[in-house]
Amino acid sequence: MLEIRNLHKSFGTLDVLKGVDLSLEKGKVLVIIGPSGSGKTTLLRCLNLLEMPSEGSLKLGDSALEFGTGRKPSKSQILKLRQSTGMVFQSYNLFPHKTAIENVMEAQIIVQKKDKASARKRSAELLAKVGLSGKEDSYPHQLSGGQQQRVGIARALATDPQVMLFDEPTSALDPELVGEVLKVMKQLAAEGMTMVVVTHEMKFAAEAADTVVLMDDGVVLEQGRPDQVLRNPSSARAAQFLNVLIEKEG
Amino acid sequence: MDERKIQILIDSLLPMIKAGLQFTIPLTLISFALGLVLAILVALVRLWKIPVLSQIAGIYVWIIRGTPLLVQLFIIFYGLPSIGIEFDPFPAAVIGFTLNMGAYNSEIVRAAIQSISNGQWEAASSLGMTRGQALRRIILPQAARVSVPPLSNSFISLVKDTSLAYTITVIEMFQVSKQISATTYEPLLIYCEVAVLYLVLCTVLNALQNVMEKRLARFSAS
Ligand SMILES: Nc1ncnc2c1ncn2[C@@H]1O[C@H](COP(=O)(O)OP(=O)(O)OP(=O)(O)O)[C@@H](O)[C@H]1O
Ligand SMILES: [Mg+2]
Repeated sequence: MLEIRNLHKSFGTLDVLKGVDLSLEKGKVLVIIGPSGSGKTTLLRCLNLLEMPSEGSLKLGDSALEFGTGRKPSKSQILKLRQSTGMVFQSYNLFPHKTAIENVMEAQIIVQKKDKASARKRSAELLAKVGLSGKEDSYPHQLSGGQQQRVGIARALATDPQVMLFDEPTSALDPELVGEVLKVMKQLAAEGMTMVVVTHEMKFAAEAADTVVLMDDGVVLEQGRPDQVLRNPSSARAAQFLNVLIEKEG
Repeated sequence: MDERKIQILIDSLLPMIKAGLQFTIPLTLISFALGLVLAILVALVRLWKIPVLSQIAGIYVWIIRGTPLLVQLFIIFYGLPSIGIEFDPFPAAVIGFTLNMGAYNSEIVRAAIQSISNGQWEAASSLGMTRGQALRRIILPQAARVSVPPLSNSFISLVKDTSLAYTITVIEMFQVSKQISATTYEPLLIYCEVAVLYLVLCTVLNALQNVMEKRLARFSAS
């Protein structure tokens, strides 16, 4: 379903990803953890080509892309890949000049060329799914952080992506609002959505993940079932990082 | 004020308003609209650093901003015919003011686009929008809101600057007032009258600007 091989990304002389291999089956949830600066966000952004990988290959559904000198995907390949992924941002990035439902409708109308009425209908369903019925006509600034992020999830779901990408979706939220967003994500996972989630919410990782990947300095340090990686990491470096996380959670 | 003066004021009002409707306002609207399109193109070419075009755009802005508008108008209307490029007065004025607006407003548009967070481009891209779609649907509407106050200012300046078109024989409002003043020997009276007409026009535009800013502020708390 999703497969990346030997993925490299550098910014100028800074090597941020140094050969990452990952694969994810349909309907599974992959959680990525790791220290700050280890390349989690960069990896996620490489999956929808917001960052162009410097080397390696990426397969998603029937898109198969190769990167490296002289091997740049075409514009239409890039757009196709982006349409089959949905991204949820740490800072929501909702369109402030559009209401909640218009945020969700936008890509359906502009990218998928659906007619307004059916886009509106589908968007209302998606907003209901994330628990925001009645907020259709609110502008983002009229919503709480948790509500905004749920609109962000609905917006990303609107184009029926094959995989959803989450970059620390709850880390900009007040603690009391984290739960409502995680709940929606768990529900998506339970419905069989394929998801890649960068998060430091250990409880979510333990309960919802099929695979946990621990990144460090641009490489995958540990990879496995959540109980393996979180409880019995094989390297000292991983154990040390997890200890810090567990202490933080108290 | 004696009756003669009042009669002169009344008699001159209609020709001036007519010149305003026929030349001043169309000249302003056409030049501003064309200038805005030009400004957006120039801003994008420079923001996206499109090779060659962005250098040309840079030089264009540099020249227009660094030379007097009056001189630009003279070059277009009196200068170009000597190399075989001839325009009627009104089109020459439209070209001059459009080029002027395009240069000044491109800086406004560029700053407005740059003020929109990169996260907006990324959100649009992540949904599969092309750069053009993101620009049109997501970025420009937000940039428009930011740039309404400075663009309104340049619009109001343009209204007043169109009076310079008299120098290239466009029969706009100020030109008419000049002619009336010459035949009535009442320069103070007539020039004050035309000043009041410009004042009314700019005041109306200011009010429109306020309405527009309120409407655009609707989607944002700040
Ligand atoms: N556009 C960029 N240009 C230059 N360097 C970048 C860019 N994006 C990221 N980096 C660098 O790449 C490294 C990895 O960044 P990344 O954001 O992927 O880390 P992260 O694991 O997501 O960290 P965090 O937990 O703090 O979000 C950092 O050193 C960062 O400074
Ligand atoms: Mg990050």
